[in-house]
Amino acid sequence: MPLIILGPLVVIGILAIALILHLSGRTAPRRLATEAEARDAWAREYPENPALTILLSSDNRAALIRATRGLGLVWCLGDDTVARIVTKSKTHTTATGLAFERREFAARRINVTLDADTLALWQSQLESK
Amino acid sequence: MTTPITYPDVVSWAVPFFIAAILIELAWITFKGRGGRYETRDAVTSLIMGAGNVASGIALGFIAWAFFMALWQITPFDLGTAWWVVLLCFVLDDLRYYWVHRFGHRVRWVWASHVNHHSSQHYNLTTALRQTWTYTFTFMMVVRAPLILIGFHPAMVLFVGGLNLIYQFWIHTEAITKMPRWFEAVMNTPSHHRVHHGRNPRYLDCNYAGVFIIWDKMFGTFVPEYDGEKVDYGLVHNIGTFNPLRVAFHEWVAIFKDMARPGLSLRQRLLYAVAPPGWSHDGSRDDAERMKEKHLERHPEDRGTPGFG
Repeated sequence: MPLIILGPLVVIGILAIALILHLSGRTAPRRLATEAEARDAWAREYPENPALTILLSSDNRAALIRATRGLGLVWCLGDDTVARIVTKSKTHTTATGLAFERREFAARRINVTLDADTLALWQSQLESK
Repeated sequence: MTTPITYPDVVSWAVPFFIAAILIELAWITFKGRGGRYETRDAVTSLIMGAGNVASGIALGFIAWAFFMALWQITPFDLGTAWWVVLLCFVLDDLRYYWVHRFGHRVRWVWASHVNHHSSQHYNLTTALRQTWTYTFTFMMVVRAPLILIGFHPAMVLFVGGLNLIYQFWIHTEAITKMPRWFEAVMNTPSHHRVHHGRNPRYLDCNYAGVFIIWDKMFGTFVPEYDGEKVDYGLVHNIGTFNPLRVAFHEWVAIFKDMARPGLSLRQRLLYAVAPPGWSHDGSRDDAERMKEKHLERHPEDRGTPGFG
């Protein structure tokens, strides 16, 4: 197919599909409604390192996990979740909460929304890591 | 003067069909309330990866083409262009695909290219288009060399490779549960390929087939979809980004970081590039075999069930 047709077709196709998905409410719908959901999301990636205590973020889109071995973070990505050990991650406060800076190219910075009270709880856990 | 052999670029001609099929699948899921999931950014990332794959083919395809034409110049064989030659080429190229795909899961250097296809936690028709931008750097074009050396024209080999890719598009769906039994026995199907995309220990490193599932059955890598365990799609440690550049290059970056670690022997550095994904010099990571073993330690009742044979 000539590029002059293929190029616009691909661009219009992607935009049309994106628009339909967004307008039908399919953009980043995932929340960690309960601690149990956060625990399951953690166990999904670290089945040998069970969660002991869980702190949910203010917007229910992340959770700080104290696991048998180290501290972990679960966060929502689109309609799904990702989990990582964050014992060695650097953190700093932001206008909306906390940012985790990681050396991993595919999960470089994770922003977590925390109100003042929740931020204090998270910082307390992080200081004791 | 002989007429040059040409075949249509079937993958680009299939693009309108890809778009229409995605919209049909989406409508099916919406109206039926089952048959898969879609998320905007996940789908857009997959589609951009697909577009980038076509672009990288245009930009870097000349490397493979030059290699194939050099082989064509030196081979004394020419099988011609009869229909049965094309058919034979399609079948043998599918065997080639099986091995390239198996290397893609068992050699980290090749996995670095293929991993992005598995990086979505969704399994829908857009996932089929989440394709590599870096295939040229895997040097897996050498696996096609035997086909050309025995007399299949390079244009024909690329043509059947395109047909192979188009076949694999429709099997990336949860909307189809099972095909008729005879079809499931011979062909790669949505059910077989769902298993291939599973991150559950049971489903790791199996069902490498492109078109014919018989290769997995022949080489001992076939695992059927097990009613007792739903497929969990994605990577063992799922990727934390929708950025297409990070999706495309993250494993390459990880390889080079590992190879550059201080205090390693030359052999260890090399193994970080070519050993199976999950290999580490100090045993701190798990490869697929170890993950299966650990799963069976936690769930001994699964021993002997599909994937744990």
